[in-house]
Amino acid sequence: MSPRPEAPARTRRHLLTAAAVLFVLGLTVWSANGIGVSLVELFSNLGRMGRLIDDSFPPAWSFWPRLIKPLLETLQIAIIGTIFGSILALPLAILAARTVSPSRPLYWLNRNIMNVLRTMPDLFWAMLFASAVGFGPFAGALALTVFTVAVVSKLTSESIESIDMKLTEAVRASGGNWLETVFFSVLPQALPQYVSYVLYALELNVRASTVLGLVGAGGIGMVLNTQRTTFQYDRVTMIVLFVFLVVMLIEQLSAAARRRLV
Amino acid sequence: MSATIVARRPGMPRSLWLGLTLLILLVWSFSGLEIDGGRVAALPKTMARMFGLFFPPDVEYGRQSVVPAILESIQIAWFGTLVGAALSLPLGLLASANLFPRATRLVKPLLAAVRAVPELLLAIYFVPVVGLGAFAGTLAIGLHSIGTLGKLTADVVESMDQRPIEAVAASGGGALSVLRFAVLPQVLPEIVALWLFRFEISLRASAVLGVVGAGGIGGVLLNTLRYREFARAGAVVVLTVIVVLAIDAVSGSIRERLVRE
Amino acid sequence: MAGSPAIRFRQASVVYPSGVRGLDRLDLDIPHGDLVVIVGLSGAGKSTMLRAVNGLVTITGGDVEVEGRSVRSSRGKALRELRAGAGMIFQDYRIVRRLSVLQNVLVGRVARVPTWRQLIGMWPKEDVELAFDSLDRVGLVDRAYVKAGQLSGGQQQRVGIARALAQKPSVILADEPVASLDPVTSRRVMEDLRRINQDLGITTLVNLHFLDLAKEYAERIIGLSQGRLVFDGAGGDVTEGDFAEIYGRHMTADDVLEAQVAL
Repeated sequence: MSPRPEAPARTRRHLLTAAAVLFVLGLTVWSANGIGVSLVELFSNLGRMGRLIDDSFPPAWSFWPRLIKPLLETLQIAIIGTIFGSILALPLAILAARTVSPSRPLYWLNRNIMNVLRTMPDLFWAMLFASAVGFGPFAGALALTVFTVAVVSKLTSESIESIDMKLTEAVRASGGNWLETVFFSVLPQALPQYVSYVLYALELNVRASTVLGLVGAGGIGMVLNTQRTTFQYDRVTMIVLFVFLVVMLIEQLSAAARRRLV
Repeated sequence: MSATIVARRPGMPRSLWLGLTLLILLVWSFSGLEIDGGRVAALPKTMARMFGLFFPPDVEYGRQSVVPAILESIQIAWFGTLVGAALSLPLGLLASANLFPRATRLVKPLLAAVRAVPELLLAIYFVPVVGLGAFAGTLAIGLHSIGTLGKLTADVVESMDQRPIEAVAASGGGALSVLRFAVLPQVLPEIVALWLFRFEISLRASAVLGVVGAGGIGGVLLNTLRYREFARAGAVVVLTVIVVLAIDAVSGSIRERLVRE
Repeated sequence: MAGSPAIRFRQASVVYPSGVRGLDRLDLDIPHGDLVVIVGLSGAGKSTMLRAVNGLVTITGGDVEVEGRSVRSSRGKALRELRAGAGMIFQDYRIVRRLSVLQNVLVGRVARVPTWRQLIGMWPKEDVELAFDSLDRVGLVDRAYVKAGQLSGGQQQRVGIARALAQKPSVILADEPVASLDPVTSRRVMEDLRRINQDLGITTLVNLHFLDLAKEYAERIIGLSQGRLVFDGAGGDVTEGDFAEIYGRHMTADDVLEAQVAL
């Protein structure tokens, strides 16, 4: 009979596991404390939940005619944000692609700025723009433009980095300068992916645009905010249902378009 | 690769249509939004002025009011994600077509419906029930996390190597043994990585919940901007960016380690 | 025990939900301690035959008896009990790459150890000892704590064999155990199976495609075609003519392991 091997010294791994568990536990207790999580509160408020449901249902069906215009405004914000953001994202994506970028410092700078832009939630941008240019859809469109630039340029630059560089070499070998390689090799190869990212951004933007109004940046969210603060939850529910329907519809359309592209 | 280039048709009627559609959508959108050239032209100056006012940020205010609010956002994101993750695991397994071919037909649409409502809208419903504050936000993050994590969990389970399931069953193992030895060891690292990824997203979501009174940093930013206290708003923006960047970096490196075999 | 054979097929039939007939009224007795090789084209029902023994496929007609117990009427706990007595070895190993070799072998004990102990990984000492013994038989004791995914294909298959052994089975069912392995490793695995069969007296059923391997290792060869028994004879007696009958064609280089070496 062969000798049994010693179980590997797992003290280090055990210590690491124990430390991780403690960390997670500590973070959780700290969070629960800070939030004031209490199941008692949750369940003792079930009565209020019943009242809320009473207030919210049935939805105020007759409210819908007043939702059409704000909803169209929402879509307009999403469309402008998507189109302008995507146009700006393309050159930035090329600069942010390691394999294609013409200059190292430019690549580095661009990458880091984009990383910082992405840390800010879309609604933060909406608040900032609403404060700078005033309440209304213009602020919302600007917020979504920045958001789109950050998302689309990141994804597109990754696609560009994974394209077939042999073709690019070929264009360069036949005497093409940097701009020509970009136009005749890089862009044609990355374009289908880019378009699908733009559609993806459109889906995100339609979703995001519905809540921009909560901070005064236009669209149906502004109506929502009014009804919410005056506790007309039957109207809130009507708005939520309406938004839900339109978001689903646009996502289905966009998803179908993306499937045909890729 | 070369095939796609050869296959591209001359004339490109499709891109022409696409361009035309885009143009019409753009014109329609512009006409609706009272955007005039003057405002657009003034934009760089307006933004520069505002960002100029952000600096130097109000450090004292940052220490006293911003940091606690950001910590609250982290607490909301962490606890909400954790509770959502714990509940999403059994639901995600039930939603996996390969493990539960019958339950999946019920659970999957349920998860999709939960997922379709953004955290902010959920919070609008939780605030009247549990009152203003972080608890409402936590419930919103938790509920939404169940929807997203449940679906992603099912995706991971459905794409794992199915074959060990039969091996454990052939050894006489029951459903729990199959779960313990054929399913969880294969999927758990990926699923925990998803939880961390979801925490990163939850943090961004919880940062804005304050605009409907559900706790965290969002309400602070809204108020400082409303009263045009730009140095204070600057403190909010700078600290939020730093904290989110740091958490993304830590969480990202842990995720990378987890999924490496 | 002397009364009933180790395995008895009684008019056993398997029709899959898709309508495909996997096994067609098979009648067969397999005595204790035999090493039986089943040959046939792919789709002839070899896999179905093995899976009918431990109930991994649903028997739709007749029955299979293992140690006198009916497979068809076994459900729930009785079925798990029956499976625990039959160790199975798979063509594609079916081990979990992220678990250690030892943990993979311990899977062979799932039917014998309380579930709560499995869930928290508190295996009884004697079960761990048994897992080590099983690893010893396939010469992998020194790899016990290595992640199974780091082993070579041949080693992974031997982990699969150790897992089956850890069940302390009365029957071993090996479903194309060497189909994914190179010729040298194939022989090594077949040697292991034969040694286990001889040392422990475990009744062993092996599906094989290679005819020369079948002849070399089998005490008895069963030929299947379209789910029916078309040949049943001692390993040494088979002729090329018999194979032609089973396969419905003459032998080719594809059917011989030695020829694979030459290729």
